[in-house]
Amino acid sequence: MLILRAFSSEWVKLRRRRLWFGAYGAIAGVVVLTTVVTIAGAASSAGHHPAGTLTLATLSRATGLSRGLTQSGVLLGAVALSIAAAQFGGEFSHGTLRNLLVRAPRRASLIVGNGLAVLSFLVGAVIVAAIVDIGAAVAMAQVRDVATGAWTTGSAMASLGQIVGDMALSVCGYAVVGMVLGVVLRSSVIAIGAGLALLLPIESIISSAVPSTARWLPGQLLDSLAQGGSAQASFGAALVTTSIYLAGIVVLALVAFTRRDVTT
Amino acid sequence: MVVPELDTLVRPDDCRRTPPGECAVITTGLTKRFGRRVAVDRLDLAIPAGSITGFVGPNGAGKTTTIRMLLGLMRPTSGSGFVLGHPLKEYRTYLARVGALIEGPTFHPTLSGRDNLLVLARLAGLHHRVDPVLDRVGLLRRAKDPVRTYSLGMCQRLGIAAALLPDPELLVLDEPTNGLDPHGIAEIRRMLQSFADEGRTVLVSSHLLAEIEQVCGHLVVIEDGRLVFQGSVAQLLAARAPELVVRTECAEETLRLARIIEGVGRTARVLREGDAVTLEVGADCSWAGALNRLAMTAGITVVHLAQRDSTLEEAFFAIMGSDPRPGRGTAGDTGTGTGGGGGSGTC
Repeated sequence: MLILRAFSSEWVKLRRRRLWFGAYGAIAGVVVLTTVVTIAGAASSAGHHPAGTLTLATLSRATGLSRGLTQSGVLLGAVALSIAAAQFGGEFSHGTLRNLLVRAPRRASLIVGNGLAVLSFLVGAVIVAAIVDIGAAVAMAQVRDVATGAWTTGSAMASLGQIVGDMALSVCGYAVVGMVLGVVLRSSVIAIGAGLALLLPIESIISSAVPSTARWLPGQLLDSLAQGGSAQASFGAALVTTSIYLAGIVVLALVAFTRRDVTT
Repeated sequence: MVVPELDTLVRPDDCRRTPPGECAVITTGLTKRFGRRVAVDRLDLAIPAGSITGFVGPNGAGKTTTIRMLLGLMRPTSGSGFVLGHPLKEYRTYLARVGALIEGPTFHPTLSGRDNLLVLARLAGLHHRVDPVLDRVGLLRRAKDPVRTYSLGMCQRLGIAAALLPDPELLVLDEPTNGLDPHGIAEIRRMLQSFADEGRTVLVSSHLLAEIEQVCGHLVVIEDGRLVFQGSVAQLLAARAPELVVRTECAEETLRLARIIEGVGRTARVLREGDAVTLEVGADCSWAGALNRLAMTAGITVVHLAQRDSTLEEAFFAIMGSDPRPGRGTAGDTGTGTGGGGGSGTC
């Protein structure tokens, strides 16, 4: 019951116009950017290209519609992590957490309800991203003369649906990391900074230096999830490993949140 | 340090003997340590139900830490207590009947006043209470405006509205008048009185002793986490004897009168404010006649003679072992506001 109440309460904050415009705008911007860059950078179909090169012929397939969305996994993840960390860390920074806990002293239920609300907000953002991706992809197809006949087939829709699902899973994973950092570090700014630093540059450096670590690093695995599997880790392996990681850090955050004194 | 006669004061034992409900809050040996530092030290509180209790102490005395322990935000290191008849450990049970404003109002600045309350109301299934409490604190007309556009006084009132959401039996208000102008303070004072009139118990911490004196019937004073005084305001005021304030026609005569008074075994403190010299004589009204005769005999004309009762501020500083007035003690950096002049009556 309290989880539902906490979910409903968190949505009062999430429905802020500024947050909607900021978050959904940022996500739409990221998707438009990656879609434009992806399609603009595709090689023409004629001639020989190295394996793995994206060509206009590849884009004209059913999966071409969602190609830009697939490429934006890391950036969408970064936005999701930032929003989640800001929502949770902000309660400590603003000093509003104590008000919440006086009205809802069952801390675990409170945090779970609030977390589910943030995840629902971000799943909505992924759906918005998919819609924006379709618009951007269609517009860019006109520019690059990409044949779009296959984009309106059932196969294309199924592919898009799968990509949206994978992306939603990945974004939720990033968001959970953001929430945990917000709760543990008790500051939105520090949580966002630490999260982005860990999942982006630090992991990139480690995986570049020791490529075999990529299948164990959480940021790399979340990116693999967004792409429906990658060379580093299959979708199933990425899902299992990230689930274990996330379960572990969620338990840690719950223990910290329920046992620590509220001093802010 | 002056400690009032404790056997006249309310003790936790008294409350335990009384039927349930007589004390809204009781603690025994409540202690909170942060590493080596003891923030609250074996605190025995007894807050009578239905009272407005002032919770007073210098900055860092442990008031907010105590309040946080009562509200389940901090775990006591040791000690026990009851709030509204439930043990402190069962704070989840009694918090539904408690409203609190802790360390000033904190809200999401971009949300409206109504939405800020709705965040809290939805958590407790109290949606229907949002507009009534906004109306109660006079914010209904500004309810749709973002909190960032509110004045400090409006934020304080919104904080009180948030505390009123559960229609609480116990209201805990931490510094509700902080930063308010005199009009805002008077408004909060009226509100506090109205809460008590409705039968609620109000525990209010404040630095403004004059405000506490005007509105609180019961008082808890702590310093360094320890209980210094607990009882009625009248008891605390009675612990400090009244003084006679004397002025003569000129400063030289006032100084001469001071020596005469000390010669008969009374204390006479000299206060200088510019050219004016005033005596504060350690005696009450009943000695005024004798003082006047002494002055007349010495050929000194008394132009002002009045009894001045001590203020809560003076009583507070007395039990804290410091006196903020010039020439009479160290003005400790307690952060405590001025209490205004003492009550006086012509003898």
